[in-house]
Order: sequence, then structure tokens, then C-alpha cells
Amino acid sequence: MGMDRREFIKSCSLVAMMGLLFGCRKVSLDALAAGEPGLAQFEEEVKLAISHAKRQFDLVKVARPGLLEIPGASSVNRFGMAIDLDLCDGCGKCILACNVENNVPLVPAEDAARGRFMHWIDMHGSAPFMCAHCGKAPCERVCPTGAANHTPDGLSAMMYKRCTGSRFCGANCPVQARKFNFNDARKLGLAHQFNKNIPLRDKGVMEKCSLCLHRLQDDRLKFKTSLTVGATAEEWRGRGVKTACSESCPKNAIIFGNWLDDESPLVQRTKNRVLYAPRELANLDPSVVFMRGRR
Amino acid sequence: MTPLLNAFACLLALACALFLWRKGSSPYRNGALLAGFLLLFSVFTYFGAAESLATDPALEHYPFRMLALCLCLSTASLPLYRRRYLVLAQVLWLWIELFGGIALYYRGFDVAWTRIAAVAGLAFGSTFLSRISREMEFCLMVLWLAVWVFF
Amino acid sequence: MYRFLMLVGLVLFLPGACALGYSVFQGPSSWMTDARTFWGTPISLFVFWIGLAHAGTLISAIFLALDIKLDRRTALIAELSTLASLVIAAVFPLVHLGIVENFYMVAPLLDVRGIFANIRSPLVWDFCCIAVYAALSLLFFATHLKARRNPTLEKYCKPMAWLLFPLVLWVHTVVSLDFATTFVPEWRGAFFPVYFITGAIFSGLALVNLLLCAEGYRVRLLERLQLICSWILCAIWAWEFMLKGSFCASAFIFAGLLPQLRMVAFIRESKWGRMAISASVLLGLFLERQFLVSPEFGSPAMASFGWVDWGMLAFSAGTFMLVFFGMLLLLKRFMEVDGSYFGEVDGRDIAEVEEAEHKDSPVRLGVEKTKKGFYVHPWSSEEYHVLRLPLLLGIAFALLFSLWVWGRMPFENVDLSLANVIPLFYPVVALVTAVALYARAYFVEKAFALHRIEKILAASVLVLAGTCAGAFYAGGASERGAARDVLSENPENRDLPVQTWNARCATCHGSDGKFNEKFVREFYPVPQKLDLLRLDSLGEDSLVNVILKGRVNMNAYEGRLTYSDALGLVRYMRSLAEKEVANDSAP
Repeated sequence: MGMDRREFIKSCSLVAMMGLLFGCRKVSLDALAAGEPGLAQFEEEVKLAISHAKRQFDLVKVARPGLLEIPGASSVNRFGMAIDLDLCDGCGKCILACNVENNVPLVPAEDAARGRFMHWIDMHGSAPFMCAHCGKAPCERVCPTGAANHTPDGLSAMMYKRCTGSRFCGANCPVQARKFNFNDARKLGLAHQFNKNIPLRDKGVMEKCSLCLHRLQDDRLKFKTSLTVGATAEEWRGRGVKTACSESCPKNAIIFGNWLDDESPLVQRTKNRVLYAPRELANLDPSVVFMRGRR
Repeated sequence: MTPLLNAFACLLALACALFLWRKGSSPYRNGALLAGFLLLFSVFTYFGAAESLATDPALEHYPFRMLALCLCLSTASLPLYRRRYLVLAQVLWLWIELFGGIALYYRGFDVAWTRIAAVAGLAFGSTFLSRISREMEFCLMVLWLAVWVFF
Repeated sequence: MYRFLMLVGLVLFLPGACALGYSVFQGPSSWMTDARTFWGTPISLFVFWIGLAHAGTLISAIFLALDIKLDRRTALIAELSTLASLVIAAVFPLVHLGIVENFYMVAPLLDVRGIFANIRSPLVWDFCCIAVYAALSLLFFATHLKARRNPTLEKYCKPMAWLLFPLVLWVHTVVSLDFATTFVPEWRGAFFPVYFITGAIFSGLALVNLLLCAEGYRVRLLERLQLICSWILCAIWAWEFMLKGSFCASAFIFAGLLPQLRMVAFIRESKWGRMAISASVLLGLFLERQFLVSPEFGSPAMASFGWVDWGMLAFSAGTFMLVFFGMLLLLKRFMEVDGSYFGEVDGRDIAEVEEAEHKDSPVRLGVEKTKKGFYVHPWSSEEYHVLRLPLLLGIAFALLFSLWVWGRMPFENVDLSLANVIPLFYPVVALVTAVALYARAYFVEKAFALHRIEKILAASVLVLAGTCAGAFYAGGASERGAARDVLSENPENRDLPVQTWNARCATCHGSDGKFNEKFVREFYPVPQKLDLLRLDSLGEDSLVNVILKGRVNMNAYEGRLTYSDALGLVRYMRSLAEKEVANDSAP
């Protein structure tokens, strides 16, 4: 070998040190091999998704969303969004912002090639579409465990830990707004936890737009613990909260707000507009609607 | 489906019921007749309500309801086991109405509870019949047609 | 012969079990799932096998209840094929789930936090119906086996058949409602119950005919019924086409056209011809289920049928052969050659027997003609006398259960209607009735005796049922005890807040104040972080209020802790947070 004792000990200790360092790693081998995806890869995928845009929905007129028709519904809060199709130009910044805010994973190459992404917002035609948080949600009534349910505030909520992956909700959504975690994104190195407050979902659960529930929760908590609570006896109305997509839209085409609050930008900007929804959802009392043209 | 066509449907079912369970008929003949009647009722529904077929899901099980009515009416000509098959035919009608209604409820339509209750009441009441005279038979047929037309 | 078939079954089973294991490990990405409905091969296999399971009981129970006599071997084959198919059908919904270990959440049992399964979901109805059906099928079969030694048990066969008859139809109807209640365009169909039941009867008849051919017998009545079923199914397919434009050509060819070849004499008379027809029917109906469950099958948006899918098919066929022929072998050993069994004639063609009986008796039109000389009114029949009290118990229990479910906490924000609860009604009735029936038979009338092994089996089943009942009861909301000012009662006990914390709060919030990730399984969002900054900004008063009044996902402790107790807890919480800060700042 030609190695003397000293060099041998040096190389052994070097190997041992490398082994220890390697063993101390917090990142799994697979992720290390795959590499944690960076923002650039997410941007690439959003561009790919836009190029795979599905057909535009058949839109029909809907009435303005009002009080929720479920027992125990809040009489002051019903959160929703309106997307102004006149302003939207299909740039896709909302999709990227949503993915970053909610730690939405990438998908493997074969799925991307077939146009199946995990994005909570999909492009239909040149308009973004996400879960409409229907008041009479078909997904919630067929979920066997109750993981898909409705909050009194009008959000179609998802409990990841209660999901058993039966995918009945996904089958019953008339517009396929729900996504299923076919893969363990963490293990395959397809996920990046941009937002530390949001968990990465396990393999086998369904997910969809949550109307940035976490932002609403944080705002509610701040409101409840603020010093003015006892003094003003007001209720929390979610004023000032914006979802990630509405925040990121350069044209302000996505408006988030409270349908039951007259001061909410949602109510004010939809005052004189005609509201539309996809034909399949028109009878299901959607909270997320489209706007086009003037009254 | 207009009320006129609805009434015509039950007349059609009555007309078809005459051919079933004739004396000496083989099970093949009866089976073929059943399949043929189902086809006839399907064609009737398809052409009779063509414009509303896509929009009115309540029509989806219309041919099957017609078939159930036809089976109920056909028990009048049975020589054997009339009470047993009478009850069974009405239970079939009840089945189609009840579970069809539940399926439609999930698609946003109200369940026709009065119709289901009427058919259930008739089926339950028929189990108490001790002897089906001609008058009783006629009365039953009238009741079935009434439930079809009015509920 | 049986051993050879079992060997074939084993050859199919082993690679199939590998495929099944892999699919459970890898999850839904390993098999063919539809791009739109997310459902795939396991569900189509489930519907196929549960249809076969129902047909077996349908044939034996209906024929028994309608006084049509089938001979011993046919009835035995029908019953055994039911049980074997049920075993297979029960596996596939578990495979289908994305997170298999959460399957218990679908059962209508309370968990310790009072969470109940969503009673509106057809999958929950499915679970109940199939569980009850499996239990009652086993009881029915066991009754027949024991009735040989205990003749007094004979009188329970017919009542059980009458109980099972509607249950079978109900269960397959609920399976069809899995599809009919959705908005998927290809699954539109208020007529699905009749459609699925016809398909189930058809496939069941084909299976029984196939198995009879394998045994070397034939029952012409069943073959005729098979042909008639194919006509009715073709009519239903025509309506499907008219309604939705969907038409599965391969299913039509295999299950619609080829069975008509039975009319050709030389195919009908040859054993291999009949076997081929039955096998063609089974294949066609499986393809039809596949087409129904995965409407996008064949389009480029979907993965194609892979090795896992073939493996699952092989697994199901192999398991069936192993279980069925294994059970036949087992039973043949215990069966006497000419003992009476399932209510039988001597093997002559059933139609000939009926024809002869018909000719003997005079026919009087317009009046009910009865067999054996007199008409037995249903409400005064012997079967009804046996069933009366258990049935009353069953209906009462089902009503109470429905009312109780209606009041559960998860349904406070939900518009529950009668239509959501009806599908669960009859299975509960049937289960309680059967249990009451057999309890009375064993304890009151001493109609049968149990061997030691059977006693152990019954005892273990009871223990299992008791566990389920315990889960039921334990899920009741925790009682509020009388509030005692424990701190003032034990002023020396400085450790009381610590003990209370560890007993009550640590399960979710962790004994060190960081939340206990392993236990907080079912709720999102997770409890708020109890760090020092947040605690100080919230203030003691509001924190005490949170403890006393409760929050989303946290019980109110008002009746169980006094204000000073809660204050002690808050201060302890703060000390934990301070310790946390100290730990963080330490190197």
C-alpha cells in the first residue's frame, strides 16, 4: 500500500470524523440526494402549470353570497373572495404566492407532464380558480371521517390529521378543486417548508385552498387579546386580513374579505358588479365568485 | 315530464302488464318481456322528456318506476301466490322510490316523502289482506294508479 | 380436484399478495387511479367481489324464504362463495385508503374526544352495512351447520333467511349509493340501486354456475336465470346509453352478447361451453365495474393498468380459490354423505318438480292458491312468531341510535335530514334482532349446545364487542364534577398545579409546555405555542378565562377547576415558558 502508520491513522480518523458528521445530519439521505428544492423550481413549475391551463369554466350568474344556510352559522362573518376577470391577465403570481405561503409541494416529472399539479390554485383559461368554499359543499357531506367540514365563518376547512385518504371528497367536487398527496413530498425532496407555521402534509391526505385560515386565526387571536377588547365590545370581523394570493396580485384582481361586513373591500368592490360562478357550482352557494363587466 | 305524459306512462304500464305472467308462459318469455318493457319504458322516457332529461335528474329512474308499477299491476293476473308477489312488487316500488330519492337528495333535490309514505303504507297494508276478491283487486289497482298520478 | 384448484389458487395468491403489500406500502400512487375521481382498481375490485358476496346469500336465502327448494350442494356452494367473497371484498376498501391506519375513523363509534364519523357519508353506511352483513352471514351459515346436531335450531333458519333477504338488497343498494350520491357525471343515476343489484345477481349466478361446473353438476334453473339476467342488464345498459351516452363495449360483448350463446345447444350441453359462458360473464362484469369506477380509463391523462393492478386481480382470484375450496374440503370431511342440509330435494331439476306440483292441484282464478292446502298469513306465520320480540328490540334500538347520532356534537353545524340517517336503519335493526334471537335461543330455549371451542370463540367475539361498546361509552363527554377549591383545601401542596398540569394539560400541551406532537393527532391547527412572549402579551386573566371557558378543541374546565386552581396552572405554565427561555439562551 505504501502508507505508513501515521498516514493510516490520519485517514482513519478522517473517515471517522466524516462518518460522525454525516450521521449527525438532520436532513434525510433521500432529501440530501434529491436536494431541497429552491424557489426557482417552484417558479418553473408554476410556469409549466400555466402552460397546461385547463379549459375556462362555463360561468353563470349567481346571487351575492349572504348568510350561510347551516345551523350555527355566524351572523357577522362569512369570508370569501371575488376574482375580477377584467383585471386578471393570467400572470400566475397568485399561484406562486399560494404555494410559498402554504408549503405546497412539487410533483414528480410524470405527473407534471400530464398536467397534474398539487397547486391549490389552477389556471382555467386565463383565470385562477381555487376551492370555492361552497356553503352546500358536496365534498363535506361525503367525507366519511368528518375531516372536511364547514366553519361557522364560512370556510370549508380541512383537518389533515383526521383524513384517512378515502378521496371521496375529491371525487365529489364538481370542479376537481381538491388535490391528493399521492407522494411523500418530504421524502422525495419535493417539498420546501417556506412557511414555518404551516405543516407539511403527510402522504395520503387531501388538501385544498384554506383561504389562508392561519392568517385569519392569528388575526382573531390578536383581536381577542388586544387591550381594546373589553372597551369596544366589538366582534372580530377579520378586517385587514389578506390571503396570500390577493396580496400578491399586481392588478388587485383577487379581493378577499367578509361578505357580511359592509366595510370589507370585498363588499365594496363587488357592489355594482355582476357575480359569476362556474355552472357546476352555481347551486352550491359558493363563497368565491368571479366578476366580469359592469352592471 | 308533463302531467299528460305522466298519465300516459301509467296507461302504458297497465297495457304492458297484461302480457306478463300468462298461464303456461315460460320463464324465458316473462324474462324477455320484462327486459323488453324496460327498454320500451326507457325509450318512452327518452323521447317523452327529451328536453328535460339533462336538466331534471328526477327522471333518471323514471323507466324503473314505470317497471315497478307495471309489476304491481301485473300481479292481478297471477294464479298462484298472489299476495306474496303483490307485497314484493310493492316493496320493489318502495325500494326504487326511497333509494332513488336519497340519491337525488344528495344532488340537491327534495325527497318525495309523501309518495314514499303512500307506497310504504300500501305495501304494509297489503300484508294484512286475507283474501283478494275482484273488488279488492280493482281497488288496489286504482290506488296504485292514483299514487302514480297524484304524488 | 379440489387440491389442484387450491394449488392454482396459491399460484395466483402469492404474487398477488406481494402486489397487495406493495400497494399498501406505496399508497394510491402505485395502482391505476382515475384522474378525475381518484378512485381506481381496489374500488372496482371491491364492488365486483361484494356483488358476488351478495349473490350467494341472495340465492340461498331468497330461495329458502320463497319455498323454492335448492339441493344441498348448490346451496352449500352459494353460501361458501358468499363467505369467501366477503373476506376478499373486505380487504379492498382498506387498501384503497390513503392512510390505512386511520380506517377506524370511518366506524360510527365515538372516540375519546367525542368525535363521531360523518353519518351523512355513504362510506360510513357502507362500513356498517358490510360489517353487519358479514356477521349475519356467518351466523346464518353456522346455524345451518349446527342444525344437523340440534334439530330445534331448524326453526331459526327461516327467520334468519327473512332477516337476511332485505339486508342483502340493502347492503348492495348502499354500495350503489356510494356512486349515485355524487356529482361525477358518469355516476349519475338514481336508478343505480336496481342496476347494481341486477349486476350482482348476474355475476353471482355466473359464479355459482361456474363452481357447479367445476364440481360436475348443473342446475338448469340457475342457468336460465343467468340468461334472463343478461337481457335485463342489456336493457339497463341501453338506458344508461340513452341517459349519459356512456357505453362499455367490452362489457357488453362479454356479459351481454356471449351469454346468448347458451341458446346454442351444443355449447349448452358441454361442460366447457357452460364454464366459458360463466367466465365470460364474470370478466364482462368486472370490466364494466372498472369502466364505471374509472371513467377516464384509457385517456392519456391517466396511468395505465400496471403490475400492481394485475397483482390485485390475481390476489382476489387466488384468495377466493384458496378459501372456497379449502372450506369445501374442510366441510366435506365433517359432512355425512346423505345427511339433510340446506333444505333440499333429491337433485331432480327444480322446474320439473314445480311443474308436477302445479299439475296436481286445481287452479282457481281470482283467489289465492296456496301450497299445502292453506294460506299462512305473514303476521301469524311461524317465522314471525319467532322474530317478533327480537324485531321489536331491534327497531327500538335503531330508533334510539338514530336519535342519539342526530344529537352528536359534530352535527351541530350540519343540516342533518332523515335521508342521511335512513340507510343505517335496517342494518342496526338486523344486527340487534339477530343477537336477541340467538341470545334467546341459547339462554332461554336452550335450543343448542356449544362445544368448548365454540364457547371460546363466542366468548372472544363478546370481548371484542365489549371493547367496541367500551369505546362507544368512553367517548361520552367527560362529566363535570363539583368544583372544589382544591388549593385552599391543601394550602401546603405547592405541587398541585404541577400535578394538575401533568394530569390534564400535558397530554396535548406536553409536560414541558411545548405541545405533545404524538398525541395531538386529530386537530389542525395545533395548539398555540405557549412561549413567554405570547403568555405575557395575553395576560393572566385572559389565560385563566381560556382554561375555564375552553377554546376551539379544548374543553371548558369551569366546573372542575376553580379560579384559583386555574390561576395556579397559568403561573406554572409561565414558569415552564421561562425555563424554556433559559434553556434556549443557554449554550
